[in-house]
Amino acid sequence: MLHRRIYQFLIIYFIGFGGLMLVKYSLNLSDYVIPGFSDIGIACRRYFGLYLLAVLNTLSVAILGHLLSICMATMVGIIGRLTDWIGSFIRVAAYNIQAYPIVAVAPIIFILLGDGLSSRLLIAAMICYFPLLLSIIGIFSEPVVEIEHFFESTRRMNWQLQVKIRAFENIHKLMTVIVGSATLAMVGTIVAEFIAANAGIGYSIRIALYQSDLAKILVALFLIGICTSIYLVFLEWLGMIIKRRIGGI
Amino acid sequence: MQLDIRELNYVYPGSVRNVFRQLSCQVTDPGFHALFGPSGVGKTTLAKMIAGAIKEFSGDIRLHQINQVLYTYNLERLPGWSSVQEHLTQITPTPNRQRMEELVDSFGLETSLNSRFAQLSLGQQNRTNLTRYLLQDFDLLIMDESLANVDEITKEKIILKIKDLYPERCFLYISHNVVEVSKFCKQILVLRSHHKDPQAVLLQGQDFNGRQPLAERDLEQSMLEIVNAT
Repeated sequence: MLHRRIYQFLIIYFIGFGGLMLVKYSLNLSDYVIPGFSDIGIACRRYFGLYLLAVLNTLSVAILGHLLSICMATMVGIIGRLTDWIGSFIRVAAYNIQAYPIVAVAPIIFILLGDGLSSRLLIAAMICYFPLLLSIIGIFSEPVVEIEHFFESTRRMNWQLQVKIRAFENIHKLMTVIVGSATLAMVGTIVAEFIAANAGIGYSIRIALYQSDLAKILVALFLIGICTSIYLVFLEWLGMIIKRRIGGI
Repeated sequence: MQLDIRELNYVYPGSVRNVFRQLSCQVTDPGFHALFGPSGVGKTTLAKMIAGAIKEFSGDIRLHQINQVLYTYNLERLPGWSSVQEHLTQITPTPNRQRMEELVDSFGLETSLNSRFAQLSLGQQNRTNLTRYLLQDFDLLIMDESLANVDEITKEKIILKIKDLYPERCFLYISHNVVEVSKFCKQILVLRSHHKDPQAVLLQGQDFNGRQPLAERDLEQSMLEIVNAT
C-alpha cells in the first residue's frame, strides 16, 4: 500500500500536470512551450534512468547535509540551552543569523570551494540548519520541571540527563522538525546545483531549462517528489520506531 | 530537630501583595507534622523556601539538626523511558534498597512496577513518586499534597507506614483535609492570610499511629481548633 505522503504527492503532481495540459489545450499552445503527452512519454523513456541517478545523487548529498545539520544543531542546542552568557549569546546569534536568507551566501561558497560536492553539502546543511537549531534550542532550553525537580533536589542532575529528559519529553516535536528540515535539505541541495554544481538533479534541470525542455523538467520533478517522499516516509518510520522503543509504547 | 522561621517577609515577583509579613513559627522534634491553610495562603511558597528553592526573601529560616530537606509535590512525573521498577532501582541508594520492597508492598505498587509512569492512574502515580522520595536520604521531607487522588484506606495505610518506618525523621505534610491532618499529624502549622496576626498558629494534632485507639472527642476538638484557627 502506498504511504500517505507518496499518494499525496502523486495527487498534487497529477493535479499540476492536469492544469498544465488544460492550459496547453485550452490556449492551443505549441509543443515547444508545453510538450504534449507523446513528448513527455519520450522524455520519460529516455531520461528516467539518468534522472533517477541524478536525483539519488542529490538525495544522498541532502541526507548527508541533513545529518550534518542535525548533529551541529544538537551540539549548539545543548550549549544554547545554558542560562549563562554563552547560552544567551548563542540563542541571540541563532535568531539573528536565521533572519538572513542564507541561500544568498551560496555564490560565495561556490567561489571559495568550487562547484564540487563540498559546496552542495555545505549549502544543503546551511539551509536546513537554522530552522533545526532554533527548534532544538527552544526544546532544550525549556525545563520539564515536573520531571527535573526530583533529580535537581537529590543532586543527581547532570547535563546529559537534562538533555535526555528534554529530548524525550519533546520527541514528537523533534521528529516533526527533523522531518520538516529534510525537505529543506533537499531544497538546499537542488538550489546549490542550480547555481553552480556539476552533478545532481538541479544541474540536470538547469541544462533542461537552457534547452527550454519542459518535458525533461516534468520527469525530473516527478522523480524529485517521489524520492523526497520516500526519504520523509523513512524518517517518519524511524521516528516511530524510536518513539516506540524509548517510550515503551 | 527543629524548624525555626523568624520574621519572614515575602512578595511574589511582579506583585505588590505580601504573602508573608513578619511570619514567625516553629516546628520541633521529628514526626509527621502538617502545614495547613486555605488555598493561596502561601503553603507551597513556604515549603519551597524551607527547601531552598526560593531564596529571595527577608527573614530567617533556621534548620537545627536538619541537613537534607526534600520537597515533593503531586504533579511530579517519572521519566517515561524506563519502567517504575527500573527507575526505583536506579535512584535508590544502595543502603536503602531493602526498604524499597517494603514500601512497594505497603503502598500497593506491586502491579505498577513493570509499567511506565504514564500508564499508571493518578493515585498510583502519586504513590510511586512519594515512594522514590522516601527511598532517598533526608531529614525533612515536605509532602505537598503528595497523597492526592489516593483513597482514604490506602492513604491511612501509607501514613501509618511512614510514621512506623521513619520515627526519627521530620515530615511536613501539606493537605487540605482537616480530618487526616488532625488525626495523623503531631504538630499542625496553620497558615493564615497575611492580614491576620499572627500569620501562623501551631496546634497539636492527635498523632494517631494505629497502635492506640483514637478518642473521637479529641479528634473533633483538634478539627475544631484547626477550623477556628483558619
